[in-house]
Amino acid sequence: MVCLYSLLGLTLNLIVGYGGMLSLCHGAFYGIGAYASTLLMTNLGWPYVPSFLASLVICGVIAYLIAIPSIRFHGDFFVLATLAFQFIAFAILYNWTSLTRGAFGISGIPRPFVGEWQVSSPWAFFALALILALLVGILIWRLSHSPYGRALQAIRDDELAAESLGKNVNRFKRSAFTLAGMLAATAGVFFAGYTSYIDPTSFTLDESVFILCVVIIGGAGNLRGPIVGAVILVLLPELLRFLKIPDAVAPNARQVIYGLLLVLMMRFRPQGISGKYAFD
Amino acid sequence: MRIETDSLEKRFGGVVALDDVTLDFPAGSVTAIIGPNGAGKTTLFNVMAGFLKPDSGSVFLVPSGDGEGASHKIDILGLPPYKIARQGIGVLFQNVRIFNKLTALENVAVGAKDQPGENPLNLLFRPGVVASREKEVLEKSRYYLGYVGLADKAHLWAEQLSYGQQKLIAIARLLAGDAKVLLLDEPTSGVHPDMIENLLGLIQQLAGTDGRAVIMIEHNLNVVRRVGDWVYLMAGGRIEVFGKPEEVLRDTRLLELFPTL
Repeated sequence: MVCLYSLLGLTLNLIVGYGGMLSLCHGAFYGIGAYASTLLMTNLGWPYVPSFLASLVICGVIAYLIAIPSIRFHGDFFVLATLAFQFIAFAILYNWTSLTRGAFGISGIPRPFVGEWQVSSPWAFFALALILALLVGILIWRLSHSPYGRALQAIRDDELAAESLGKNVNRFKRSAFTLAGMLAATAGVFFAGYTSYIDPTSFTLDESVFILCVVIIGGAGNLRGPIVGAVILVLLPELLRFLKIPDAVAPNARQVIYGLLLVLMMRFRPQGISGKYAFD
Repeated sequence: MRIETDSLEKRFGGVVALDDVTLDFPAGSVTAIIGPNGAGKTTLFNVMAGFLKPDSGSVFLVPSGDGEGASHKIDILGLPPYKIARQGIGVLFQNVRIFNKLTALENVAVGAKDQPGENPLNLLFRPGVVASREKEVLEKSRYYLGYVGLADKAHLWAEQLSYGQQKLIAIARLLAGDAKVLLLDEPTSGVHPDMIENLLGLIQQLAGTDGRAVIMIEHNLNVVRRVGDWVYLMAGGRIEVFGKPEEVLRDTRLLELFPTL
């Protein structure tokens, strides 16, 4: 789970930390990735790896199409645009019952497999998650420590100045949004294979907000931040269990702690625990 | 390369910001634009840089060298700002607009043109091309950082530098992008007096050695006297006086139009 949320945090960080755009629809791409690969496997009988890759492409195309209108907005209005997409995506997953089986969800999703070999033990899943997180991490590292990442950060710091230096600002933002959406699909595909059951409630606004918390609490604008955030936010509930808080109180206590943590972070450390960039 | 404008007009509601502005900014010299607040100076810059569209008129870039003439003029009006920048026009903003969370060196490197590494596909599929161009870009950026005298600050975040140093970085990043026409909006405002002399020397050098066209908006008439080759006096959106600094600064209309002097 830490790997999964590191993965989601790292990819969202491309938009939030490097691009400076607060997005509330990462959960939607996560979900679309999960559904796309699952439907390709269960309905069309595709093998795991091709459906994995196809779901990346599908998420990329959708993210690109969403990016075209939404990057025309700035600041709060961009957040609203992504929020709208989050709701639309959820509504489609929930109501297109002939395709997604709506609220019933899809069960019996095949475990990840290549030929005869199948991932089934918890350790094998852990290894797979680690490998995926590592691969995506390397890719994000490559993107961020390159002229591309540099220009993206320049646009984040001052859009007008970047444009006056010859940067096609919209193109950079579109590609960052597309890449982040595409890579979020890796987490979705992994999640579907891991739980072997998905339903739309795993990909709600709450999920998007949670991923955003991973980035903001951990710290935006570098690679360490989202990983730190994922470790803290995923392990926090486990810690509460350790404290033997009654079951009826635990989920609420968790929400309270998240809220408190966010408020405290914003007040005392707006750049997150190990972040580089703080939102104004 | 030089830049010229032809009868630019721009109104904001009832306010005339530019009224029949026809100018020519020659290469290899520093042209100062002076005038009271609201004279239309910054509007003129914004039109030339593409941030504002005029109601009518045109802006041309004229490449230097042989065969100068109408046939070689590049009409830049209506192009988006990033395309105008790629033609070789660079703006130094009045409030610098530095990239705070990038280092001084990175700030300059962002200015460089033609970077294949800015395309994610090239990063994955043509790493060799990216790496060799990046090496050139960093070398050039270090050169221009040294040129403005900040070689030792290369790895500091831009926000850690003084305002004057940030202005120098902003100039270096224009140079790294091979800007041939430099629009400087009040380059000396907010800069510590000790650094102004240094900055003015640099501005003269920019026009002198490489034949760039330097155009600056300036309120400080001592600065204009010191570095200006030509001066336009603007008021109410019109060009009122044009000439050598010593002529314009002696002109009786100066005090009439610019009473706050």
